[in-house]
Amino acid sequence: MADPELDELLRALGPAEPPGPGALEAAREVLWSAVAGEMLAVGPAGGAGRARPGTAARPANGTRRRGQPGA
Amino acid sequence: MDTDDATLIERSARGRPDAFVEVVRRHEAAVHGFLARRAGRQAADDLLGEVWLRAFAARGGYDPGRADARPWLYGIARNVLRAHWRARPEPGPAAAEETADPWDEVVNRLDSAALMRALAAGLRALPAAERDALLLVAWEQLTPAEAAVALGVPAGTVRSRLHRARAALRPLLARDPERAERTR
Repeated sequence: MADPELDELLRALGPAEPPGPGALEAAREVLWSAVAGEMLAVGPAGGAGRARPGTAARPANGTRRRGQPGA
Repeated sequence: MDTDDATLIERSARGRPDAFVEVVRRHEAAVHGFLARRAGRQAADDLLGEVWLRAFAARGGYDPGRADARPWLYGIARNVLRAHWRARPEPGPAAAEETADPWDEVVNRLDSAALMRALAAGLRALPAAERDALLLVAWEQLTPAEAAVALGVPAGTVRSRLHRARAALRPLLARDPERAERTR
């Protein structure tokens, strides 16, 4: 069923252009807006207190890295 | 070691919406590539956020039995692309469905070597459903079962489409002189 030779050629047809500078971060920011909106609406689980935008539950490991070129 | 996508998505739907961001971080390059291969980099840059918003909104319906979210995200990205193509200014009174398959633009971005041009033309001639199935496997490296998730059809349907698409394209390779010489 599989056709490695054909699939290899097809792969060569479709190289992906890399994202523009900051594009991935910008898209993540869009998501973060929705996440923050939902956290404000319902509050965090587990009785940890009410979330505040830009603070609560955002990972400390650099998940949100506004302004880091190429991140 | 890492928590799988399904667990993170379930967590995000149960009071920890921020858990969804990790799923996005894992797959953002792949989903951007999916968009860029079909619509170009600029459109991919513009549409990626919409993919995340739609996925985030739909996460409550995610099948927890699917550890890897990538096929599901490709399915959402495909819908975003279709909406993007439908929303573009139309050149004429053509049916909206036609404008959702702007394969000519994709071909223009492809390699110009003769065999590649022939393959691109072969792809253009395939029914869209067969082309989508083939490229999810060839370009995004999905298994047929994963492609079925992205396309929202049974795995057997994808296998049939793959079989027909490959059968249609295979003769193009045999007509390539360089390839024929090498296999002689």
